[in-house]
Amino acid sequence: MSVWRYEKAQVFGVRLAALAGMFVFVGLIIMGRIFYLQIIEGDKYTVLADKNRTSVRHLIPQRGVIFDRQGRRLAENKKNFQAVLIREETKDYKKTLAAFERLIPLSEEEHTRILKEVPHKKAFMSVRLKENLTFDEVALIQVNTPDLPGIQIEEGLMRHYPYGASTAPVVGYVSLVNEQDEALTSTNPFLDIAGYRIGRTGIEQAFEETLRGTPGLERKEVNAFGRSVRVLEKRSPVAGEDLFLTLDAELQKYALSVLGDEAAAAIVMDVKNGDILAFVSAPTYDANVFTMPISTKNWEKLLYNKKRPLQNKALTGVYSPGSIFKLVVALAGLESGDISENTSVTCTGKTKLNDHVFHCWRPYGHGKMTVQSALMHSCDVYFYEMAQRIGPEKIIETARRLGFGAKVQTDLPGEKSGLVPTPEWKLAVKKDAWRTGDTLNLSIGQGFLNATPLQIVTAVAQIANGGYRLTPRFIKKTAVPASDDKVPLNKGEKLGFDSYHVALVKKGMYDVVNKERGTAHGARFDLNGLKMAGKTASTQVRRITMKERLEGIKSQDELPWEYRDHAIFAAYAPADKPRYAVVVLVEHGGGGARTAAPMAAKILKEALRRFMPRAAGEKE
Amino acid sequence: MSFFKDRNCYLKNYNLSLIERIKQFNYGYLGLVCLVVAVGLMTLYSAAGGSWTPWARPQFIRFLMSLCTLGAVALCPLRFWMKYAYGFYLAALLLLVCVTLFGHVGMGAQRWLDLGVIRLQPSELMKIALVLALARYFHGAGLEEVRSNRFLIPPVLMMILPVGLIMEQPDLGTALMLVFATAGMFFMAGVQVWKFMAVTLLAVISLPIAWTCLHDYQRQRVLTFLNPENDPFGAGYHILQSKIALGSGGLLGKGFMQGTQSRLSFLPEKQTDFIFTMISEEFGLIGAFGLCLLYAFIIGYGFVIAQRAASFFGKLLAVGLTINFALYVFINMSMVMGLMPVVGIPLPLISYGGTAMMTLFIGFGLIQCVDINREMVIGRRGSIDDE
Repeated sequence: MSVWRYEKAQVFGVRLAALAGMFVFVGLIIMGRIFYLQIIEGDKYTVLADKNRTSVRHLIPQRGVIFDRQGRRLAENKKNFQAVLIREETKDYKKTLAAFERLIPLSEEEHTRILKEVPHKKAFMSVRLKENLTFDEVALIQVNTPDLPGIQIEEGLMRHYPYGASTAPVVGYVSLVNEQDEALTSTNPFLDIAGYRIGRTGIEQAFEETLRGTPGLERKEVNAFGRSVRVLEKRSPVAGEDLFLTLDAELQKYALSVLGDEAAAAIVMDVKNGDILAFVSAPTYDANVFTMPISTKNWEKLLYNKKRPLQNKALTGVYSPGSIFKLVVALAGLESGDISENTSVTCTGKTKLNDHVFHCWRPYGHGKMTVQSALMHSCDVYFYEMAQRIGPEKIIETARRLGFGAKVQTDLPGEKSGLVPTPEWKLAVKKDAWRTGDTLNLSIGQGFLNATPLQIVTAVAQIANGGYRLTPRFIKKTAVPASDDKVPLNKGEKLGFDSYHVALVKKGMYDVVNKERGTAHGARFDLNGLKMAGKTASTQVRRITMKERLEGIKSQDELPWEYRDHAIFAAYAPADKPRYAVVVLVEHGGGGARTAAPMAAKILKEALRRFMPRAAGEKE
Repeated sequence: MSFFKDRNCYLKNYNLSLIERIKQFNYGYLGLVCLVVAVGLMTLYSAAGGSWTPWARPQFIRFLMSLCTLGAVALCPLRFWMKYAYGFYLAALLLLVCVTLFGHVGMGAQRWLDLGVIRLQPSELMKIALVLALARYFHGAGLEEVRSNRFLIPPVLMMILPVGLIMEQPDLGTALMLVFATAGMFFMAGVQVWKFMAVTLLAVISLPIAWTCLHDYQRQRVLTFLNPENDPFGAGYHILQSKIALGSGGLLGKGFMQGTQSRLSFLPEKQTDFIFTMISEEFGLIGAFGLCLLYAFIIGYGFVIAQRAASFFGKLLAVGLTINFALYVFINMSMVMGLMPVVGIPLPLISYGGTAMMTLFIGFGLIQCVDINREMVIGRRGSIDDE
């Protein structure tokens, strides 16, 4: 054997061994990797594989129905037909969409939404074209089926509000989940459900968790393209709980009609237990428009209306309570001993304080006033005088005890707490000391003081029931409407007022309506002996200048709408055995006596007729 | 068929008759190969959800055709392959040029040559032809020659020409395999180790330049390889799903035809490049290691055949083709479990696909041919005796 052959063969042998070693090394790396993936990390990948192959779909439960106190439906679930487009069942979805739009026109916004959604969704998934189809539209689609490949009609449930507009401030509405909701409550399983509608305001929002129920679940095995292969598990949804409100839908509707076109609020409350029978904010909106995506045009119309239909004025509007606050001052004075039944002040039409003149609403004055007649005439000078004697602390304390300056209920979300100004508050916020002038403003319910209509009616109701604490209730637990005359007086906590003092204030309120020259005498009524007692207020939204005073105060009608006084009237009936308290607040309504009192009287009469058999044989 | 008549090209001592050659056939080695093919057919049957169509049946037919080819190649005289080694290389190179000029575009790359009856992938043929040509080149060289730089210029050119054409297609995987196979043959021929180190160092330094020469999709693959979780629904999807399938197999696997990842189409290319993942999912660590062992036997046997061949051409041919086979295994397994970028190399003998199977069987035919003629001594220039 030659040298070249021998040498090469020897080198070859050695190198073959080296190569084999390298290959073993690479092989061990590969096998080590297999071991690592399958044994060390095996559990992790098993979980991932399971997550891959199963798809969980939540099924929307039927939302709880909301009833009024008489069992009328305020929010229900109506069958809803919707047209959907399934891309894989048509050759050209744009053509199908065009054919659909020839039959049922869609808005520009919807058209662009659909064109954006269809190519992005998986081919076998449905894209909503139009919800809430009428029966005619359903028929039209069915007749034209051959021209509409890929279009199907699906049946679902849609929230419906039979009293739409009038109950909206209490019931609220539901609407589609948006991105902000997802950021807020990412753990809510409902948010993943296509077409789920979440409670936005009112009871729908506050009792979202009660109403929505438990979602059902469908676990399916799916392939990589998302198509389901078989169902692994199915759990039916559990419907949400029904709710029964204290509201009376018909009274609510009537009250709204009484308010008419005004920007106003009206509340009717049972003074025995705090049940809210009517809770109206006007103008209002139809809650049904929000269950579907609202068009920008309609949304702006609601948003930029100067009468603010989207604001719940009864709950979130804060106003100076005006002369109604004189009830609080009178009670504070009686309790502190600074006022007795016969304590009198002579009203000359104004009070001088240092260099400043505080006017009574009646330029020539009321003459000699006692607490009862001062309430009846709503004499400012009497309360200017008394407030200085009582001092702000006692008035503030009494106001707080009656519910001013803090939220009074927990059922509805978004309530405003109003403000009862104190010397400490003024120093901290306004950086100024409390002056006697502030006390005088406070005594007639003006200045920094403000309150919601709900706080005003609660205060008046607590006076009407003789001084028992009330918490306004919107939720009645039981389905059966209670027989009204037999509801026991909530003998809960007394507010701690002397019942004689409360009775004296109530006498003043009685005179406001039932004595000639009482400020609300014009609104009086007598239903088989059932009468009303109340208190008027007209609260300035701007200061009257000295110049205007000299030129003669203009009549409210001559002022532009935004400058007119707010008109408020708070009352209760029957005057002898109080049962229903009411407040009516009309923004820029002029005078409380002239605008708000007749409305309140109408609403109270309606309540009495509905709930008190005695009032039914009405004579007027 | 002139070579049968040309008796002069045989060495008289070791000339075997056709019957003797058939007797010398290494049936154990062939059995190992067929065993792996059987595993492949079973896996393809499972991949189709328990059906012979669309993959297992055509693959079986290809296997039978490939088996015939193997027989024919193995029974040809070894000298014939040596004599025409450069001819085959030139033919393969010509086909590569053709594919570059009028090739068929498939999957974004120009790899196929449509010959009417069959679709040819010349880059696959080149894997065999280059090994043949290099074995021929180094056969007659003394160690002194092998260690001179000038002597290495022609074989380097032989490698660079096809690699350049294949990179142009573009097919990074095959180009890489040719480079590694050539390096392996240089190593086995006796080129000094320091030269490999120098070239490796040079390659590392020039890596940034190579980066700019890569196609966008190749760069994307490398980036995806480096961090697949970064892009779980785009380019990283395949490798992530592949790892999930493999990892979820566990020790014993999910059972034959029970792999959820493959059955529900989460696993991409489950019948071709990613078939190893599917085997690992269904048969677990036991199955995966078992297959690795089978491959190890085939590779080891190839080394034994190379070692016991008398002719240097035979040694180099056997080892070169074995390296080639091992590269298929290493690259494919590494890429499906995230050890290297996805470069489109099938799992040999198992992945669905015709050209690769045929190429591999031609290779095994040549190795068989070496083993049949292991006693044969070939002179420097292929003569009987040129001492």
